[in-house]
Amino acid sequence: MIRLQDIEKVYHSDNGTIHALKGVNLTVAQGEIFGIIGTSGAGKSTLIRCINMLETPTKGSVIVDGQNLTSLNEQELREERKKIGMIFQHFNLLSSRTVYQNIAFPLELAKRSKEEIDKEVLHLLELVGLSDKKDQYPAQLSGGQKQRVGIARALANHPKVLLCDEATSALDPQTTKSILELLKDINRKFQLTIVLITHEMQVIKEICNQVAVIEGGKIIEQGKVIDIFTQPQANTTKEFISSIINHNLPDFFKDIILSPTSTAESNLILRLSFIGHSTEEPIISSMVRRFNIDASILYGNIDHIQTVPFGTLIVELSGEEVALQQALSYLKTRELGIEVIGYVARNARVAG
Amino acid sequence: MSQEMLVLLVKSLWETTYMVAVSGFISALLGIPLGIILVTTTKGHILENTSLNTVLGAIVNAARSTPFIILMVAIIPVTRLLVGTSIGTNAAIVPLSIAAIPFVARIVESALKEVDYGVIEAAQAMGASPREIITKVLIPEALPAIVLGLTLTIISLIGYSAMAGAIGGGGLGDLAIRYGYQRFRADIMLITVVILIAQVQIVQSTGDYLSNRLNKK
Repeated sequence: MIRLQDIEKVYHSDNGTIHALKGVNLTVAQGEIFGIIGTSGAGKSTLIRCINMLETPTKGSVIVDGQNLTSLNEQELREERKKIGMIFQHFNLLSSRTVYQNIAFPLELAKRSKEEIDKEVLHLLELVGLSDKKDQYPAQLSGGQKQRVGIARALANHPKVLLCDEATSALDPQTTKSILELLKDINRKFQLTIVLITHEMQVIKEICNQVAVIEGGKIIEQGKVIDIFTQPQANTTKEFISSIINHNLPDFFKDIILSPTSTAESNLILRLSFIGHSTEEPIISSMVRRFNIDASILYGNIDHIQTVPFGTLIVELSGEEVALQQALSYLKTRELGIEVIGYVARNARVAG
Repeated sequence: MSQEMLVLLVKSLWETTYMVAVSGFISALLGIPLGIILVTTTKGHILENTSLNTVLGAIVNAARSTPFIILMVAIIPVTRLLVGTSIGTNAAIVPLSIAAIPFVARIVESALKEVDYGVIEAAQAMGASPREIITKVLIPEALPAIVLGLTLTIISLIGYSAMAGAIGGGGLGDLAIRYGYQRFRADIMLITVVILIAQVQIVQSTGDYLSNRLNKK
Protein backbone atom coordinates (compact mmCIF):
# COMPACT_ATOMS: atom_id res chain seq x y z
CA MET A 1 0.00 0.00 0.00
CA ILE A 2 2.84 2.35 0.85
CA ARG A 3 6.36 2.05 -0.45
CA LEU A 4 9.12 4.44 0.44
CA GLN A 5 12.29 4.04 -1.59
CA ASP A 6 15.64 5.54 -0.61
CA ILE A 7 14.03 8.58 0.96
CA GLU A 8 16.49 11.30 1.80
CA LYS A 9 15.66 14.68 3.24
CA VAL A 10 18.13 17.49 3.65
CA TYR A 11 17.21 20.83 5.19
CA HIS A 12 19.26 23.88 4.38
CA SER A 13 19.18 26.63 6.91
CA ASP A 14 21.38 29.54 7.88
CA ASN A 15 23.09 27.43 10.49
CA GLY A 16 24.13 24.74 8.06
CA THR A 17 22.45 21.71 6.60
CA ILE A 18 20.55 19.01 8.46
CA HIS A 19 20.38 15.54 7.04
CA ALA A 20 17.03 14.47 8.52
CA LEU A 21 16.51 11.25 6.57
CA LYS A 22 19.38 9.22 5.22
CA GLY A 23 17.98 6.68 2.82
CA VAL A 24 14.83 5.20 4.30
CA ASN A 25 13.15 2.16 2.76
CA LEU A 26 9.79 1.03 4.07
CA THR A 27 6.95 -1.09 2.84
CA VAL A 28 3.57 -1.05 4.50
CA ALA A 29 1.04 -3.68 3.47
CA GLN A 30 -2.70 -3.07 3.04
CA GLY A 31 -4.63 -3.28 6.31
CA GLU A 32 -1.57 -3.16 8.52
CA ILE A 33 -1.00 -0.96 11.53
CA PHE A 34 2.59 0.08 11.08
CA GLY A 35 4.39 1.84 13.92
CA ILE A 36 7.48 3.97 13.60
CA ILE A 37 9.21 4.65 16.88
CA GLY A 38 12.10 6.95 17.61
CA THR A 39 13.33 9.56 20.04
CA SER A 40 12.69 13.22 19.26
CA GLY A 41 14.93 14.40 16.46
CA ALA A 42 15.28 10.92 15.02
CA GLY A 43 13.44 11.99 11.87
CA LYS A 44 10.11 10.27 12.43
CA SER A 45 8.03 13.43 11.96
CA THR A 46 9.80 14.18 8.71
CA LEU A 47 9.32 10.60 7.61
CA ILE A 48 5.56 10.52 8.15
CA ARG A 49 5.23 13.91 6.41
CA CYS A 50 7.00 12.47 3.40
CA ILE A 51 4.22 9.92 3.00
CA ASN A 52 1.67 12.63 2.11
CA MET A 53 4.37 14.95 0.77
CA LEU A 54 3.86 17.69 3.36
CA GLU A 55 7.63 17.40 3.22
CA THR A 56 9.05 16.87 -0.22
CA PRO A 57 11.84 14.31 -0.07
CA THR A 58 15.16 15.53 -1.42
CA LYS A 59 15.69 12.15 -3.00
CA GLY A 60 13.76 8.91 -3.40
CA SER A 61 10.19 8.04 -4.24
CA VAL A 62 6.95 7.75 -2.30
CA ILE A 63 4.43 5.30 -3.69
CA VAL A 64 0.98 5.16 -2.14
CA ASP A 65 -1.54 2.71 -3.57
CA GLY A 66 0.47 2.36 -6.77
CA GLN A 67 0.69 6.11 -7.34
CA ASN A 68 4.13 7.71 -7.29
CA LEU A 69 3.50 10.92 -5.37
CA THR A 70 6.94 12.34 -6.07
CA SER A 71 6.14 12.59 -9.78
CA LEU A 72 2.89 14.53 -9.45
CA ASN A 73 2.26 18.25 -9.91
CA GLU A 74 0.62 20.38 -7.20
CA GLN A 75 -2.92 19.88 -8.45
CA GLU A 76 -2.59 16.10 -8.81
CA LEU A 77 -0.91 15.87 -5.43
CA ARG A 78 -3.82 17.68 -3.77
CA GLU A 79 -6.23 15.15 -5.24
CA GLU A 80 -4.10 12.27 -3.94
CA ARG A 81 -3.87 13.83 -0.50
CA LYS A 82 -7.65 13.67 -0.22
CA LYS A 83 -7.23 9.91 -0.12
CA ILE A 84 -4.74 10.04 2.75
CA GLY A 85 -6.09 10.97 6.17
CA MET A 86 -3.91 12.47 8.85
CA ILE A 87 -4.26 13.15 12.56
CA PHE A 88 -1.94 15.23 14.71
CA GLN A 89 -0.51 15.46 18.20
CA HIS A 90 -2.12 18.86 18.78
CA PHE A 91 -5.29 17.93 16.83
CA ASN A 92 -5.09 21.01 14.59
CA LEU A 93 -8.82 21.61 14.51
CA LEU A 94 -10.25 24.86 13.21
CA SER A 95 -11.18 26.83 16.30
CA SER A 96 -13.71 28.96 14.43
CA ARG A 97 -15.71 25.93 13.34
CA THR A 98 -17.99 23.65 15.31
CA VAL A 99 -17.34 19.93 15.60
CA TYR A 100 -19.79 19.35 12.76
CA GLN A 101 -18.16 21.99 10.56
CA ASN A 102 -14.69 20.66 11.28
CA ILE A 103 -15.64 17.21 10.10
CA ALA A 104 -17.41 18.73 7.09
CA PHE A 105 -14.27 20.67 6.10
CA PRO A 106 -12.51 17.97 4.03
CA LEU A 107 -15.85 17.17 2.38
CA GLU A 108 -16.25 20.82 1.41
CA LEU A 109 -12.76 20.70 -0.08
CA ALA A 110 -13.83 17.64 -2.05
CA LYS A 111 -16.80 19.69 -3.37
CA ARG A 112 -19.46 17.36 -2.07
CA SER A 113 -23.09 18.45 -1.94
CA LYS A 114 -24.69 19.69 1.27
CA GLU A 115 -26.86 16.57 1.58
CA GLU A 116 -23.90 14.24 1.12
CA ILE A 117 -21.88 16.19 3.67
CA ASP A 118 -24.71 16.09 6.19
CA LYS A 119 -25.18 12.37 5.83
CA GLU A 120 -21.47 11.65 6.03
CA VAL A 121 -20.78 13.91 9.00
CA LEU A 122 -23.63 12.50 11.09
CA HIS A 123 -22.42 9.02 10.37
CA LEU A 124 -18.83 9.90 11.35
CA LEU A 125 -19.99 11.60 14.54
CA GLU A 126 -21.68 8.39 15.50
CA LEU A 127 -18.59 6.35 14.64
CA VAL A 128 -16.40 8.39 16.99
CA GLY A 129 -19.11 8.72 19.63
CA LEU A 130 -19.55 12.49 19.53
CA SER A 131 -23.08 12.87 18.16
CA ASP A 132 -24.11 14.96 21.16
CA LYS A 133 -21.22 17.40 20.70
CA LYS A 134 -21.83 18.33 17.10
CA ASP A 135 -22.57 22.01 17.69
CA GLN A 136 -19.80 22.65 20.19
CA TYR A 137 -16.56 24.38 19.40
CA PRO A 138 -13.18 22.65 19.85
CA ALA A 139 -12.35 24.90 22.82
CA GLN A 140 -15.22 23.26 24.71
CA LEU A 141 -13.89 19.73 24.22
CA SER A 142 -11.38 17.60 26.13
CA GLY A 143 -8.19 16.39 24.48
CA GLY A 144 -9.60 12.96 23.79
CA GLN A 145 -12.74 14.41 22.25
CA LYS A 146 -10.66 16.73 20.07
CA GLN A 147 -8.68 13.79 18.78
CA ARG A 148 -11.93 11.97 18.03
CA VAL A 149 -12.99 14.94 15.93
CA GLY A 150 -9.56 14.78 14.27
CA ILE A 151 -10.09 11.11 13.47
CA ALA A 152 -13.59 11.70 12.11
CA ARG A 153 -12.24 14.53 9.96
CA ALA A 154 -9.41 12.34 8.67
CA LEU A 155 -11.85 9.58 7.73
CA ALA A 156 -14.36 11.83 6.00
CA ASN A 157 -13.13 11.21 2.46
CA HIS A 158 -12.78 7.44 2.96
CA PRO A 159 -9.00 7.43 2.83
CA LYS A 160 -6.91 4.40 1.97
CA VAL A 161 -4.29 5.32 4.50
CA LEU A 162 -4.41 7.05 7.87
CA LEU A 163 -1.27 8.79 9.12
CA CYS A 164 -1.01 9.40 12.86
CA ASP A 165 1.56 11.96 13.92
CA GLU A 166 2.10 11.37 17.66
CA ALA A 167 -1.67 11.18 17.90
CA THR A 168 -1.74 10.20 21.56
CA SER A 169 1.33 12.00 22.88
CA ALA A 170 -0.66 14.90 24.28
CA LEU A 171 -3.21 12.65 26.00
CA ASP A 172 -3.33 11.00 29.40
CA PRO A 173 -2.89 7.22 29.58
CA GLN A 174 -6.58 6.43 29.87
CA THR A 175 -7.57 8.63 26.95
CA THR A 176 -4.65 7.23 24.97
CA LYS A 177 -6.08 3.80 25.48
CA SER A 178 -9.53 4.75 24.23
CA ILE A 179 -8.11 6.52 21.17
CA LEU A 180 -5.95 3.48 20.37
CA GLU A 181 -9.02 1.27 20.72
CA LEU A 182 -10.86 3.49 18.29
CA LEU A 183 -7.99 3.30 15.79
CA LYS A 184 -7.90 -0.46 16.10
CA ASP A 185 -11.66 -0.63 15.52
CA ILE A 186 -11.40 1.52 12.43
CA ASN A 187 -8.54 -0.58 11.14
CA ARG A 188 -10.62 -3.73 11.48
CA LYS A 189 -13.86 -2.26 10.23
CA PHE A 190 -12.55 -0.59 7.10
CA GLN A 191 -9.36 -2.57 6.51
CA LEU A 192 -7.69 0.83 6.70
CA THR A 193 -3.91 0.94 6.57
CA ILE A 194 -2.56 2.97 9.48
CA VAL A 195 0.94 4.39 9.84
CA LEU A 196 1.73 5.95 13.19
CA ILE A 197 4.77 7.54 14.69
CA THR A 198 5.35 7.69 18.39
CA HIS A 199 8.01 7.75 21.06
CA GLU A 200 6.01 5.49 23.34
CA MET A 201 6.60 1.75 23.08
CA GLN A 202 3.28 1.21 24.82
CA VAL A 203 1.46 2.51 21.74
CA ILE A 204 3.35 0.10 19.50
CA LYS A 205 2.62 -2.75 21.85
CA GLU A 206 -1.09 -1.99 22.04
CA ILE A 207 -2.01 -1.77 18.38
CA CYS A 208 0.79 -2.27 15.85
CA ASN A 209 1.48 -5.36 13.75
CA GLN A 210 4.74 -4.08 12.34
CA VAL A 211 7.27 -1.72 13.80
CA ALA A 212 10.28 0.16 12.53
CA VAL A 213 12.80 1.82 14.82
CA ILE A 214 14.28 5.02 13.48
CA GLU A 215 17.45 6.64 14.72
CA GLY A 216 19.55 9.40 13.21
CA GLY A 217 17.47 9.41 10.04
CA LYS A 218 17.82 5.70 9.40
CA ILE A 219 15.67 2.67 10.08
CA ILE A 220 17.83 0.58 12.39
CA GLU A 221 15.46 -2.26 13.01
CA GLN A 222 12.19 -3.41 11.53
CA GLY A 223 9.88 -6.39 11.81
CA LYS A 224 6.83 -7.89 13.41
CA VAL A 225 6.07 -6.37 16.78
CA ILE A 226 6.21 -9.71 18.58
CA ASP A 227 9.66 -10.46 17.13
CA ILE A 228 11.07 -7.07 17.94
CA PHE A 229 9.74 -7.30 21.48
CA THR A 230 11.12 -10.73 22.16
CA GLN A 231 14.40 -10.43 20.29
CA PRO A 232 15.44 -6.81 20.02
CA GLN A 233 18.80 -6.38 18.31
CA ALA A 234 19.77 -2.71 18.37
CA ASN A 235 20.50 -0.95 21.64
CA THR A 236 17.97 1.78 21.03
CA THR A 237 15.30 -0.84 20.48
CA LYS A 238 16.26 -2.56 23.71
CA GLU A 239 15.99 0.71 25.54
CA PHE A 240 12.53 1.39 24.16
CA ILE A 241 11.40 -2.08 25.11
CA SER A 242 12.90 -1.92 28.58
CA SER A 243 10.50 0.95 29.25
CA ILE A 244 7.70 -1.58 29.29
CA ILE A 245 9.32 -5.01 29.51
CA ASN A 246 12.14 -5.46 31.92
CA HIS A 247 15.07 -7.23 30.33
CA ASN A 248 17.55 -6.28 33.01
CA LEU A 249 18.42 -8.44 35.96
CA PRO A 250 16.71 -7.46 39.17
CA ASP A 251 18.86 -5.41 41.50
CA PHE A 252 19.54 -8.12 44.05
CA PHE A 253 21.87 -9.87 41.59
CA LYS A 254 24.28 -7.00 41.95
CA ASP A 255 25.89 -8.38 45.09
CA ILE A 256 25.96 -12.01 44.04
CA ILE A 257 29.00 -13.54 42.40
CA LEU A 258 27.96 -15.43 39.31
CA SER A 259 30.25 -18.04 37.81
CA PRO A 260 29.91 -19.22 34.23
CA THR A 261 30.76 -22.86 35.07
CA SER A 262 28.96 -25.31 37.26
CA THR A 263 30.37 -27.03 40.33
CA ALA A 264 28.87 -29.70 42.51
CA GLU A 265 27.81 -27.15 45.04
CA SER A 266 26.13 -24.56 42.85
CA ASN A 267 22.66 -23.57 41.77
CA LEU A 268 21.77 -22.66 38.22
CA ILE A 269 20.13 -19.33 37.42
CA LEU A 270 18.23 -19.11 34.17
CA ARG A 271 16.15 -16.60 32.34
CA LEU A 272 13.29 -18.14 30.41
CA SER A 273 11.16 -16.28 27.95
CA PHE A 274 7.88 -17.62 26.76
CA ILE A 275 5.95 -16.61 23.70
CA GLY A 276 2.48 -17.65 22.72
CA HIS A 277 1.30 -21.12 23.61
CA SER A 278 4.35 -22.24 25.54
CA THR A 279 3.18 -19.93 28.32
CA GLU A 280 0.27 -22.27 28.84
CA GLU A 281 2.36 -25.43 29.29
CA PRO A 282 3.35 -26.53 32.79
CA ILE A 283 7.04 -26.69 31.86
CA ILE A 284 8.52 -25.85 35.23
CA SER A 285 6.49 -28.28 37.25
CA SER A 286 7.07 -31.15 34.82
CA MET A 287 10.79 -30.43 34.86
CA VAL A 288 10.84 -30.44 38.66
CA ARG A 289 9.08 -33.82 38.77
CA ARG A 290 11.18 -35.37 36.05
CA PHE A 291 14.64 -34.50 37.28
CA ASN A 292 13.96 -34.27 40.96
CA ILE A 293 15.23 -30.76 41.36
CA ASP A 294 13.88 -27.64 43.02
CA ALA A 295 12.96 -24.50 41.26
CA SER A 296 12.32 -21.14 42.78
CA ILE A 297 11.11 -18.17 40.85
CA LEU A 298 13.17 -15.06 41.48
CA TYR A 299 11.42 -12.79 39.08
CA GLY A 300 8.47 -13.13 36.80
CA ASN A 301 6.50 -11.08 34.37
CA ILE A 302 3.78 -12.05 31.95
CA ASP A 303 2.43 -9.57 29.50
CA HIS A 304 0.38 -9.53 26.34
CA ILE A 305 1.49 -8.04 23.06
CA GLN A 306 -2.00 -7.53 21.75
CA THR A 307 -3.38 -11.09 22.01
CA VAL A 308 -0.09 -12.98 22.22
CA PRO A 309 1.03 -13.73 25.76
CA PHE A 310 4.67 -13.07 26.41
CA GLY A 311 6.52 -13.72 29.64
CA THR A 312 9.89 -13.69 31.31
CA LEU A 313 10.92 -15.74 34.31
CA ILE A 314 14.16 -15.80 36.21
CA VAL A 315 14.44 -19.12 38.06
CA GLU A 316 16.99 -20.66 40.33
CA LEU A 317 17.34 -24.41 40.03
CA SER A 318 18.95 -26.48 42.73
CA GLY A 319 19.71 -30.20 42.80
CA GLU A 320 22.32 -32.73 41.73
CA GLU A 321 24.80 -31.33 39.24
CA VAL A 322 23.90 -34.00 36.67
CA ALA A 323 20.19 -33.45 37.17
CA LEU A 324 20.62 -29.71 36.60
CA GLN A 325 22.39 -30.32 33.28
CA GLN A 326 19.65 -32.76 32.22
CA ALA A 327 17.02 -30.22 33.15
CA LEU A 328 18.82 -27.60 31.10
CA SER A 329 18.92 -29.86 28.03
CA TYR A 330 15.24 -30.65 28.56
CA LEU A 331 14.34 -26.96 28.59
CA LYS A 332 16.31 -26.42 25.42
CA THR A 333 14.04 -28.84 23.60
CA ARG A 334 10.98 -26.78 24.47
CA GLU A 335 9.80 -23.70 22.65
CA LEU A 336 11.41 -21.26 24.99
CA GLY A 337 13.99 -18.57 25.03
CA ILE A 338 16.74 -19.66 27.42
CA GLU A 339 19.60 -17.66 28.75
CA VAL A 340 21.98 -19.06 31.35
CA ILE A 341 22.70 -16.21 33.68
CA GLY A 342 25.24 -18.18 35.73
CA TYR A 343 25.87 -20.41 38.68
CA VAL A 344 25.89 -19.30 42.26
CA ALA A 345 27.27 -21.03 45.31
CA ARG A 346 24.44 -22.86 47.03
CA ASN A 347 24.59 -20.81 50.17
CA ALA A 348 25.24 -17.50 48.55
CA ARG A 349 21.69 -16.43 48.99
CA VAL A 350 18.44 -17.68 50.31
CA ALA A 351 16.28 -18.36 47.33
CA GLY A 352 12.98 -16.63 47.44
CA MET B 1 -25.11 77.83 21.10
CA SER B 2 -26.69 79.19 17.97
CA GLN B 3 -28.64 77.24 15.42
CA GLU B 4 -25.90 78.04 12.96
CA MET B 5 -23.25 76.42 15.13
CA LEU B 6 -25.34 73.32 15.51
CA VAL B 7 -25.66 72.96 11.76
CA LEU B 8 -21.91 73.38 11.50
CA LEU B 9 -21.32 70.67 14.08
CA VAL B 10 -23.62 68.20 12.39
CA LYS B 11 -21.99 68.90 9.05
CA SER B 12 -18.52 68.39 10.51
CA LEU B 13 -19.55 65.20 12.21
CA TRP B 14 -20.90 63.92 8.93
CA GLU B 15 -17.66 64.89 7.14
CA THR B 16 -15.52 63.06 9.66
CA THR B 17 -17.71 60.01 9.53
CA TYR B 18 -17.72 60.05 5.75
CA MET B 19 -13.93 60.42 5.46
CA VAL B 20 -13.27 57.72 8.01
CA ALA B 21 -15.83 55.31 6.59
CA VAL B 22 -14.69 55.60 2.99
CA SER B 23 -10.96 55.53 3.72
CA GLY B 24 -11.50 52.73 6.24
CA PHE B 25 -13.33 50.73 3.59
CA ILE B 26 -10.68 51.35 0.93
CA SER B 27 -7.82 50.54 3.29
CA ALA B 28 -9.49 47.29 4.34
CA LEU B 29 -10.16 46.40 0.73
CA LEU B 30 -6.52 46.80 -0.23
CA GLY B 31 -4.79 46.29 3.13
CA ILE B 32 -6.26 42.87 3.89
CA PRO B 33 -5.03 41.26 0.65
CA LEU B 34 -1.67 42.97 1.14
CA GLY B 35 -1.44 41.54 4.66
CA ILE B 36 -2.33 38.10 3.35
CA ILE B 37 0.41 38.33 0.72
CA LEU B 38 2.89 39.49 3.37
CA VAL B 39 2.19 36.39 5.46
CA THR B 40 1.83 33.72 2.82
CA THR B 41 4.96 34.69 0.90
CA THR B 42 7.28 34.32 3.89
CA LYS B 43 9.77 31.48 3.88
CA GLY B 44 8.17 28.11 4.41
CA HIS B 45 4.61 29.42 4.01
CA ILE B 46 2.05 28.32 1.45
CA LEU B 47 3.05 30.78 -1.29
CA GLU B 48 6.71 31.25 -0.41
CA ASN B 49 8.23 34.09 -2.43
CA THR B 50 10.91 35.80 -0.40
CA SER B 51 11.84 38.47 -2.94
CA LEU B 52 8.24 39.66 -3.33
CA ASN B 53 7.94 39.58 0.44
CA THR B 54 11.03 41.74 0.91
CA VAL B 55 9.93 44.32 -1.66
CA LEU B 56 6.39 44.60 -0.27
CA GLY B 57 7.72 44.74 3.26
CA ALA B 58 10.00 47.63 2.35
CA ILE B 59 7.20 49.57 0.65
CA VAL B 60 4.89 49.06 3.62
CA ASN B 61 7.57 50.23 6.01
CA ALA B 62 8.35 53.28 3.95
CA ALA B 63 4.70 54.28 3.81
CA ARG B 64 4.26 53.70 7.51
CA SER B 65 7.27 55.72 8.57
CA THR B 66 6.22 58.85 6.65
CA PRO B 67 4.42 61.27 9.02
CA PHE B 68 0.82 61.72 7.92
CA ILE B 69 0.94 65.46 7.57
CA ILE B 70 3.90 65.14 5.18
CA LEU B 71 2.39 62.24 3.28
CA MET B 72 -0.73 64.28 2.76
CA VAL B 73 1.16 67.12 1.12
CA ALA B 74 3.62 64.93 -0.73
CA ILE B 75 0.97 62.99 -2.61
CA ILE B 76 -1.06 65.99 -3.72
CA PRO B 77 -0.31 65.21 -7.42
CA VAL B 78 -1.68 61.70 -6.94
CA THR B 79 -4.74 63.09 -5.19
CA ARG B 80 -5.35 65.49 -8.07
CA LEU B 81 -5.04 62.65 -10.52
CA LEU B 82 -7.54 60.50 -8.64
CA VAL B 83 -10.18 62.99 -7.48
CA GLY B 84 -9.50 65.94 -9.75
CA THR B 85 -8.78 68.28 -6.84
CA SER B 86 -6.48 68.42 -3.85
CA ILE B 87 -8.91 70.27 -1.63
CA GLY B 88 -12.00 69.00 0.15
CA THR B 89 -13.35 65.96 1.91
CA ASN B 90 -13.00 63.66 -1.08
CA ALA B 91 -9.43 64.78 -1.60
CA ALA B 92 -8.64 63.96 2.05
CA ILE B 93 -9.77 60.41 1.52
CA VAL B 94 -6.80 59.70 -0.74
CA PRO B 95 -3.99 60.36 1.77
CA LEU B 96 -6.06 58.83 4.58
CA SER B 97 -6.45 55.60 2.60
CA ILE B 98 -2.83 55.54 1.53
CA ALA B 99 -1.70 55.95 5.11
CA ALA B 100 -4.09 53.31 6.40
CA ILE B 101 -3.45 50.59 3.80
CA PRO B 102 0.02 49.63 5.10
CA PHE B 103 -1.27 49.94 8.66
CA VAL B 104 -4.05 47.46 7.93
CA ALA B 105 -1.61 45.24 6.08
CA ARG B 106 0.68 44.96 9.11
CA ILE B 107 -2.23 44.38 11.46
CA VAL B 108 -3.66 41.65 9.24
CA GLU B 109 -0.18 40.18 8.90
CA SER B 110 0.27 39.86 12.65
CA ALA B 111 -3.27 38.50 13.06
CA LEU B 112 -2.65 35.81 10.45
CA LYS B 113 0.71 34.92 11.95
CA GLU B 114 -1.12 33.99 15.13
CA VAL B 115 -2.90 31.17 13.31
CA ASP B 116 -1.21 27.95 14.36
CA TYR B 117 0.76 26.56 11.43
CA GLY B 118 -0.42 23.09 12.41
CA VAL B 119 -3.93 24.00 11.30
CA ILE B 120 -2.60 25.11 7.92
CA GLU B 121 -0.65 21.88 7.67
CA ALA B 122 -3.81 19.91 8.47
CA ALA B 123 -5.64 21.70 5.66
CA GLN B 124 -2.77 20.96 3.27
CA ALA B 125 -2.91 17.32 4.28
CA MET B 126 -6.60 17.34 3.34
CA GLY B 127 -5.71 18.58 -0.12
CA ALA B 128 -6.65 22.24 0.30
CA SER B 129 -5.26 24.65 -2.30
CA PRO B 130 -3.51 27.86 -1.21
CA ARG B 131 -6.66 29.79 -2.07
CA GLU B 132 -8.81 27.48 0.04
CA ILE B 133 -6.34 27.75 2.89
CA ILE B 134 -6.57 31.54 2.76
CA THR B 135 -10.36 31.76 2.52
CA LYS B 136 -11.35 28.77 4.65
CA VAL B 137 -8.58 28.61 7.22
CA LEU B 138 -6.46 31.74 7.62
CA ILE B 139 -9.16 34.41 7.45
CA PRO B 140 -11.86 32.66 9.52
CA GLU B 141 -9.32 31.64 12.17
CA ALA B 142 -7.85 35.15 12.40
CA LEU B 143 -11.14 37.01 12.05
CA PRO B 144 -11.48 38.08 15.70
CA ALA B 145 -7.98 39.57 15.60
CA ILE B 146 -8.60 41.17 12.20
CA VAL B 147 -11.78 42.81 13.50
CA LEU B 148 -9.87 44.25 16.45
CA GLY B 149 -7.18 45.46 14.06
CA LEU B 150 -9.72 47.18 11.82
CA THR B 151 -11.23 48.81 14.90
CA LEU B 152 -7.81 50.19 15.73
CA THR B 153 -7.44 51.40 12.15
CA ILE B 154 -10.75 53.26 12.25
CA ILE B 155 -9.79 54.94 15.50
CA SER B 156 -6.45 56.00 14.02
CA LEU B 157 -8.30 57.32 10.99
CA ILE B 158 -10.55 59.44 13.21
CA GLY B 159 -7.36 60.96 14.63
CA TYR B 160 -5.74 61.43 11.23
CA SER B 161 -8.90 62.90 9.74
CA ALA B 162 -8.55 65.85 12.11
CA MET B 163 -5.34 66.69 10.30
CA ALA B 164 -7.09 66.55 6.96
CA GLY B 165 -8.49 69.96 7.84
CA ALA B 166 -5.13 71.30 6.76
CA ILE B 167 -6.02 70.59 3.16
CA GLY B 168 -9.57 71.76 3.54
CA GLY B 169 -10.91 68.33 4.23
CA GLY B 170 -13.37 69.55 6.80
CA GLY B 171 -14.53 67.42 9.67
CA LEU B 172 -14.58 67.82 13.43
CA GLY B 173 -10.84 68.41 13.79
CA ASP B 174 -11.02 71.23 11.29
CA LEU B 175 -13.95 72.74 13.17
CA ALA B 176 -12.11 72.56 16.47
CA ILE B 177 -9.11 74.39 15.01
CA ARG B 178 -10.96 77.04 13.11
CA TYR B 179 -13.58 77.86 15.68
CA GLY B 180 -12.34 76.44 18.93
CA TYR B 181 -8.74 77.53 18.64
CA GLN B 182 -8.50 80.36 16.18
CA ARG B 183 -11.72 82.09 17.29
CA PHE B 184 -11.33 81.27 20.99
CA ARG B 185 -14.60 79.35 21.16
CA ALA B 186 -13.87 77.09 24.11
CA ASP B 187 -17.41 75.67 23.98
CA ILE B 188 -16.92 74.51 20.38
CA MET B 189 -13.57 73.06 21.26
CA LEU B 190 -15.09 71.17 24.16
CA ILE B 191 -18.01 69.85 22.16
CA THR B 192 -15.87 68.58 19.28
CA VAL B 193 -13.51 66.85 21.68
CA VAL B 194 -16.42 65.23 23.49
CA ILE B 195 -17.92 64.09 20.20
CA LEU B 196 -14.58 62.67 19.05
CA ILE B 197 -14.17 60.79 22.32
CA ALA B 198 -17.69 59.42 22.05
CA GLN B 199 -17.06 58.38 18.48
CA VAL B 200 -13.91 56.50 19.43
CA GLN B 201 -15.71 54.85 22.34
CA ILE B 202 -18.53 53.65 20.13
CA VAL B 203 -16.16 52.28 17.51
CA GLN B 204 -14.04 50.50 20.13
CA SER B 205 -17.03 48.96 21.91
CA THR B 206 -18.56 47.79 18.67
CA GLY B 207 -15.22 46.28 17.59
CA ASP B 208 -14.75 44.52 20.92
CA TYR B 209 -18.26 43.16 20.81
CA LEU B 210 -17.92 41.83 17.28
CA SER B 211 -14.52 40.31 17.97
CA ASN B 212 -15.83 38.57 21.08
CA ARG B 213 -18.80 37.23 19.21
CA LEU B 214 -16.50 35.77 16.56
CA ASN B 215 -13.96 34.36 18.96
CA LYS B 216 -14.65 30.70 19.72
CA LYS B 217 -11.36 29.96 21.45
